[in-house]
Amino acid sequence: MHIMEGFLPVEHAIGWTLASASFVAWGLHAIKKRIDEQPEQRMLLGVAAAFSFVLSALKLPSVTGSCSHPTGTGLGALLFGPVAMAPIGAVVLLFQALLLAHGGLTTLGANLFSMAIVGPFVAAGIFRLARGLKRSFALSVFLATSLADLMTYVTTSAQLAWAFPDPLGGFSASFAKFATIFAITQIPLAISEGLLTVVIFNALARFNPQELRDMKLLPANEVRA
Amino acid sequence: MLIEQSAYSNRWRSVSPAAKGLFAACGFVAIFAAKSPLTATLVAGLLLLVTLIGAGITLGRYLRAAAPALFFLAMGSLSLAFAVDVGDNRPLLHLAPNGLAKLVEVGTRSLGALAALLFLVLTTPLVDLIALLRSLRTPELLLEIMVLCYRMLFVFSAAVHETWNAQSARLGYASARLTIRSLGGLTANLTLQVWQRAHALHLAAQARNNDGPLRFLEANFANTGRDCRVAGVAGAGLIALAWGLA
Repeated sequence: MHIMEGFLPVEHAIGWTLASASFVAWGLHAIKKRIDEQPEQRMLLGVAAAFSFVLSALKLPSVTGSCSHPTGTGLGALLFGPVAMAPIGAVVLLFQALLLAHGGLTTLGANLFSMAIVGPFVAAGIFRLARGLKRSFALSVFLATSLADLMTYVTTSAQLAWAFPDPLGGFSASFAKFATIFAITQIPLAISEGLLTVVIFNALARFNPQELRDMKLLPANEVRA
Repeated sequence: MLIEQSAYSNRWRSVSPAAKGLFAACGFVAIFAAKSPLTATLVAGLLLLVTLIGAGITLGRYLRAAAPALFFLAMGSLSLAFAVDVGDNRPLLHLAPNGLAKLVEVGTRSLGALAALLFLVLTTPLVDLIALLRSLRTPELLLEIMVLCYRMLFVFSAAVHETWNAQSARLGYASARLTIRSLGGLTANLTLQVWQRAHALHLAAQARNNDGPLRFLEANFANTGRDCRVAGVAGAGLIALAWGLA
């Protein structure tokens, strides 16, 4: 769920935009270096952004019976790296605002921070940690994408709680309120997205293991997740 | 896409995107400058009227474009009206002090900002907005990602639609378990296409000796200066109205 256009007070909107802009600049710098070494990556990033946009339009069944859409945060972070996800996410979120009126321009920075910065870094960190602890590839992918999804919504709850603290309980009560509301839909969604990403990586490992090895996601001797 | 259809077929298609961007920006400033919900509602109403009467967008199409956002706004605003009381026994949800006032304040501000966004997107195609961002000195690499993304998303949408239909015809979405499995197969196939299409695009660019930015023909707007002056005056009026009524 994106924060809607105009929902955040102006100082919060500007603050989150500045915070996210620094990560986008870092991401662009990293991508530029990568393109200098591997020029074919230039096209890959644009195509990957279109892929993320289309992915967000897919309907995913949720345990509560409702439907939602995958964020693609964890999948993108594992495939393209967390740093590259900030510029890709900026384009995807901008297009969602301009083509679907989903999210917004004034809340672009806040949505970018939760979905394209916190989510991908959590996914990459958890994946690396789980692989370091010798967990299986499938479990590592599941944990990385599920927790990335959850952390995205925890961040959104924190952003909303900071902007609208509870008159009685302050930030913590407001955070509990927003997190509880989101949890009803987001915990089942995170589990669904984790399972979906494992199925995706299983199919990739089966039909295209070389690409996964090239991205250092699969060790040379591991073929199937 | 509904918004893109309106953007290409509205009465102000030939008006400079810079002018429409300027007016939308003034709309955002006016909404955030408005100190009372009544003023914010008035600004939102004016932006709506400009979009409907000026650009000739039908009310039905406008409401269809706004409906998902309005649903999210209603849900989001309602959560602001309530507070959590963490008492001795268990947390209690009740109407917050000034909760309704906060709901109205944030709701009307968000409604106004949505009206400004819809004015821009329903009157200006995305290719024109990308050209506008180029003139505003957005980093070239980010623009390249945008251009490629815009051109490829329709290709991927068609691929998703065809795969989805083929899977549905074989009962691939008959249950939740099958849905996850089919979606996994669909996304994995799409992921492979990402590499294949990116590689094909790279080869095509190399075959044309491309080693710099991707350039495409952009539309030429003859009356940009005049359009910007009109938009500037109208936008300034909107901001003055918001401040004057505050």
